[in-house]
Amino acid sequence: MKPFPTQEIGSLPKFGWRTKPFRLMALTDDDLASAREWGERLQVEGRADLYRLLAKRYSFTEEEKKTIVDFSLLYAIRMCETAGQGVAKEPGLDLVWSGEQARTEMYETPVSSIGGFEFVGRVRSFDNKYWRMASIRGPPKYKENYHEEELVFTQAHTERVPKVPVTDAITIMAWSDNNYYTGRWADRKGLSPAKRGFSARREFTLELAKIIRRVISELIGKGVREVQIDIPAATQYQTEDDIKLVSEAFNETTKGLGATFSVHSCFPPSTGYGILFPHLLEMKKCERFSLEYGNRDTFERGLDPGSRVGFEDLKLFKEYGYQRELGVGVIHIHTDTLPTLEVVRDRVLYSAKVTGLAPEKLYVNPDCGLRTRRPEIAQKMLDLVVGGAELARRRSG
Amino acid sequence: MTEFQVSLTGLHARNEKTIQATQDWERNRINEVTLKSCVDEDCDALVGLQKRSGVEYVTDGQITLAWQDLFRPVSSGFEGLEPGPMVRWFNTNTFFYTPVVKGEISSNGRALSKAVEQRFAGQGSSLKVILPDPLTFAELAEDRHYGSKEKLLFAYADAIRLELQRLSSLGVKYVQFSAPSLVYRLKRRALSRSDLKQVGESVRASLKGVKLRSGYYPFFGDASPYLPDLFDDIPTDDVGVDLTQTDEASLPKTSKGVIAGIADARTTYLEDAGALAERLEAVEERTGAKTITVAPSADLRFIPRVSADQKLELLARVRARVGRSAKGGARR
Repeated sequence: MKPFPTQEIGSLPKFGWRTKPFRLMALTDDDLASAREWGERLQVEGRADLYRLLAKRYSFTEEEKKTIVDFSLLYAIRMCETAGQGVAKEPGLDLVWSGEQARTEMYETPVSSIGGFEFVGRVRSFDNKYWRMASIRGPPKYKENYHEEELVFTQAHTERVPKVPVTDAITIMAWSDNNYYTGRWADRKGLSPAKRGFSARREFTLELAKIIRRVISELIGKGVREVQIDIPAATQYQTEDDIKLVSEAFNETTKGLGATFSVHSCFPPSTGYGILFPHLLEMKKCERFSLEYGNRDTFERGLDPGSRVGFEDLKLFKEYGYQRELGVGVIHIHTDTLPTLEVVRDRVLYSAKVTGLAPEKLYVNPDCGLRTRRPEIAQKMLDLVVGGAELARRRSG
Repeated sequence: MTEFQVSLTGLHARNEKTIQATQDWERNRINEVTLKSCVDEDCDALVGLQKRSGVEYVTDGQITLAWQDLFRPVSSGFEGLEPGPMVRWFNTNTFFYTPVVKGEISSNGRALSKAVEQRFAGQGSSLKVILPDPLTFAELAEDRHYGSKEKLLFAYADAIRLELQRLSSLGVKYVQFSAPSLVYRLKRRALSRSDLKQVGESVRASLKGVKLRSGYYPFFGDASPYLPDLFDDIPTDDVGVDLTQTDEASLPKTSKGVIAGIADARTTYLEDAGALAERLEAVEERTGAKTITVAPSADLRFIPRVSADQKLELLARVRARVGRSAKGGARR
């Protein structure tokens, strides 16, 4: 791989023309214009068919809705492939995905496709952002492979390396209501209240891990070589037992499977990723940790600790003698305020400096998926990733 | 005879209508007036439920946009502070904006009164407000000014005091300090006795001259490393324990009121009311407290609204059980 390779993390924003047909809302002139504008900008093949279809505006059949989703996958793939046009000599991310356009989102899709869950309502994550919480009401059961179709489509429509993001067991457990297992452990005598809670979490997690392993195994059977295990909840439960469980669940999920596995996590507590160490390194098959750092950084240029305060936490990897790959999040994804290319470059170079890793082992990515941003902002963020990495390459090489 | 009360202890879940309204408002589909009307209706419904459940000190649920997180009215409303990086709230899938201390912290005494729905003060209800305790503030804030945790503790306490005085004058009757940082220590050691005393002094400073009943509620962790000192060193009328993390056998005798966080706020699983009542009886037996507040283990914002309300109703049923038992004189 070249120095400072680039990747996205998973999700990209959905266009109105992608979401409204499923909400039974009529498409507006703006929706049609946006399909055209982005179709032309990204030079999406067969786009005229999409324009004709969308002109119907409402009452789409199931088959038509599927076509719309397929086009949204294509738009996302092209967005990844063309990222950096105008700012970089070599545009395009090295590892691409189809923006999770076929998914409701990273949590709702798997829990909708695994038996034993019931949706119970929305819960606030922060400000006016919510997730639809599912409650586990019985043992989880495999029902279907919820990523196979999008993988097959993505592979067929890119020459680049696709990296499929798969939500892990810890995250599904942590974002779900653990009703069933809490009940199973509620009356166990001889355990402290905290131990009962942990036992309920562990049993639930390891049952989920078996199902996710089957899903990934089938994806590998379809030819995927890069699998990103998404564990945004890795730092949620923070006891020693829970941190060990993060690694145990990863190992259980990847047991016996052959692919390049990476792990993504983000938004740790104020103490940083340190709480995950050293157990994080016990993930046997993890080749790369892709973590969020841009959120906590300044917008100043510079390679000094003061300017790069958000990246200080990376020193942990050096302290533990880490030699595998790292993905560094260089763009805060919950704001429209963007750093300059030079600041992104400095974030990349500083990451190399404090980790001591070779540039070939240091991937550059946004902090997290970009689904909460508008398409034009998401595109600019990907441009910064590609452009910033290229500037860093020039400076270091 | 122990008096059993019921209370909420944190931010409550928004109902589905409010959730939708906040999202519609963000997308410019509705205006601020329509949003406010939804939120008001939501607050009214929650206060109504608390009254029907026999709650002594009702909260407005802190479901308005002023309380996007527990720090927000403080980090947005106090001089010297501003909201900074987004960080996970302890072991939950919720996040808050770190209060960044950029200068001397001060308050004009009106930041919190803007955030609290004062219409619920009076009208047959005693209104309770819930704030971060000085320790939780000092540990989670990013201090770029004081360079000393002690100074930060007391600067916050002093600013809070002015706010509490104002709230008291507006008819608020109770203040609860939420103190997860005290017990959620993980790899860090529990506070030493002298540090605990210092936290107690900062709480005392924030309550100086304030005529409110007060409570101190550490949750998300086991309080036993601080027992019995917690009850001695924290100068509030009531002191709480999260009983989903703390064994009631560790509780000491106390002359203070006890906030018993007995219903698990992190799951929709509804505990058996009889089993919870038995644990409460054990709390009563161990502590000899004159007042025991039957409470959720934490905020009820971590589960959907319907389930959060069911938890409150469960607490009322549990209180009714132990209340009946107490009237019958079974345990005295």
